[in-house]
Amino acid sequence: MKPTPLSIAAAVGIVATYIRAIYFTPFEAIQGPAQKIFYIHAPSAWVAFLAFGVVGFTSVLYLWLRDDRLDRVAESSAEVGLVFTTVVLITGPLWGKPIWGTYWTWDARLTLTLFLWFIFVAYIVLRGAVEDRSMRARYSAVLGILGALLVPFIHLSVYMFRTLHPKPILMKPDAPSLPPEMLTTVLLAFGTFTLLYVALLRARYRYAVERDGAHPEESYNAG
Amino acid sequence: MPDNAVYYHIAYIAAAVIYGVYAISLYLRRRRLHAR
Repeated sequence: MKPTPLSIAAAVGIVATYIRAIYFTPFEAIQGPAQKIFYIHAPSAWVAFLAFGVVGFTSVLYLWLRDDRLDRVAESSAEVGLVFTTVVLITGPLWGKPIWGTYWTWDARLTLTLFLWFIFVAYIVLRGAVEDRSMRARYSAVLGILGALLVPFIHLSVYMFRTLHPKPILMKPDAPSLPPEMLTTVLLAFGTFTLLYVALLRARYRYAVERDGAHPEESYNAG
Repeated sequence: MPDNAVYYHIAYIAAAVIYGVYAISLYLRRRRLHAR
């Protein structure tokens, strides 16, 4: 990833978020220091959902317009979303152990998030397995749309099922239920993690453009 | 207040490592592409 003003801004923003979360945000009285995992877990989950939403949206547009740029955006967003989901699936259990007493439980939110991760691993594997570019774009667009359809179910799963996972405290119809110092940190984290997503997506997209330019035979359309 | 700071330290380090390694992988893939 070549340094660009966007990537530098994202890196500075993430460092600022870490500093604010670690040194300038108070501990939560009941959960203690482990609650600070929230400041990286929730923004990573938001970005993962955003990334897979972008995959679904651009995949629908690709099936309609057959524009290779849309396929590249979907491909790039899926890979970046998978990275953010990996962070969600690692930081979540690290938060769960001290608070719930277990790293993992098969409740709806956790299980569906793990399924989402597997779906987009399959998406990446599928893209590597199909050589014909047009066929690869069509197959992966369908899988990308199906994967993205899981996102609203994951968000609503805490309302639909009995689950250990807490309900949203920020992305809900009512006002956020957090003290001001914590709310500021959360909002900063959501902003900087979104910026990191845009920077990584842009870098991954540029790589895809250069790869396709370097290997035009892979662009052969036999569909 | 419970003493569970180790979990939050591990989580913060893990997240930084994963995002950092991915950014480096993008840089290396692009460099390898240019070297071909």
